[in-house]
Amino acid sequence: MLDLGSFNSLQLDAIREVGNIGTGNAATALSKLLSCMIDMDVPTVKLVSIYDLAQHYGEPDEQVAAVFVRSTGGFGCSLIFIQNEPEARMMVDLLLKQQFGDALPKDLSQELSDSALAEVGNIILSSFLNAINILIGTQHQISVPGVAHDMLSSILDVVASIFGQMGEMALMVNTELRIGGAGDAAISGNIVMIPDPDALEILLRKLKVL
Amino acid sequence: MVENAYVLGMADLMVAKAPAKLVTLGLGSCIGLVIFDHIAKVAGMAHIMLPDSRGAGNLEKIGKFADTAVPALVDEMLKLGATKPHMKAKIAGGAQMFALPGASAEFLTVGAKNVKETTARLAKLGIALVASDTGGNKGRTVEFSTSNWMLKIKTLGKGVMEI
Repeated sequence: MLDLGSFNSLQLDAIREVGNIGTGNAATALSKLLSCMIDMDVPTVKLVSIYDLAQHYGEPDEQVAAVFVRSTGGFGCSLIFIQNEPEARMMVDLLLKQQFGDALPKDLSQELSDSALAEVGNIILSSFLNAINILIGTQHQISVPGVAHDMLSSILDVVASIFGQMGEMALMVNTELRIGGAGDAAISGNIVMIPDPDALEILLRKLKVL
Repeated sequence: MVENAYVLGMADLMVAKAPAKLVTLGLGSCIGLVIFDHIAKVAGMAHIMLPDSRGAGNLEKIGKFADTAVPALVDEMLKLGATKPHMKAKIAGGAQMFALPGASAEFLTVGAKNVKETTARLAKLGIALVASDTGGNKGRTVEFSTSNWMLKIKTLGKGVMEI
């Protein structure tokens, strides 16, 4: 098993580039879905101690919505799309307005909005993964998305415990998508990729940096 | 009297003499374990992440695993003058926040395993588990105060409760 603590800068660059390609594909898919411009940043790749994870994101008790998928196959990993709660709601509204126009009921049930949220998250994360799997030539299967609304620190607690089963370090590929054309307020979201340790080895071998 | 407040991070383990307040933020699948002795006026908390330390190479953080954290917390309590017959335990956490229908995602059920292992370890040492709030699909922020020996639990959407 790879020691997450011993990556060199070339390997981290390769992982960052993979994140970049994944995010690009995800941005394109989201742009098509919502028919609007999507901006993205160059992803950051960080190796952090799982005990310090919480310090790398915002306020511990900030309310967030998170969509989680698990991918198995040649490149096994977990992916989470995290948005703060108001922005997640804005994105769901944007999607549903497009589908239903003015016929959209004002008091949307939690179930319907969660379903829409799961679907957007699913499209973003699946496109992200597709790009990576095409790049390295692996087959993959993606789980049904799971949605959670909770405190940021609780979501990160789960992320830490996934990493904690393998070691003390977490590799975070973190990227931000910003949705334009949503009025004054921009909507953004973070994709967090949690690769399995053996998946990273496959990835780095395919990219010829291991 | 002013309480000393201690905030525990992931896998931390801490004991304190009263007056003290022990806090841990955002427990998801992790467990907040409190053991206290109100006669000796000592309390301790651990933020347990995983059930089992077997197979883990590095045991730097004994608070990380249920099987190491429970005995270690009891030992630290004894050092501060607590006695085993007076020790009582309370636990919170162990939620499963994401459910993936149809997917075999065993690592997502780690919360339930944490609860099971922590409970079993307490029983093995003969420490009474007097209150617990575990499971479900919501994260918890917990705060234990030696002023009333109660564990305050904040859950998003459900407000605050004390056990």
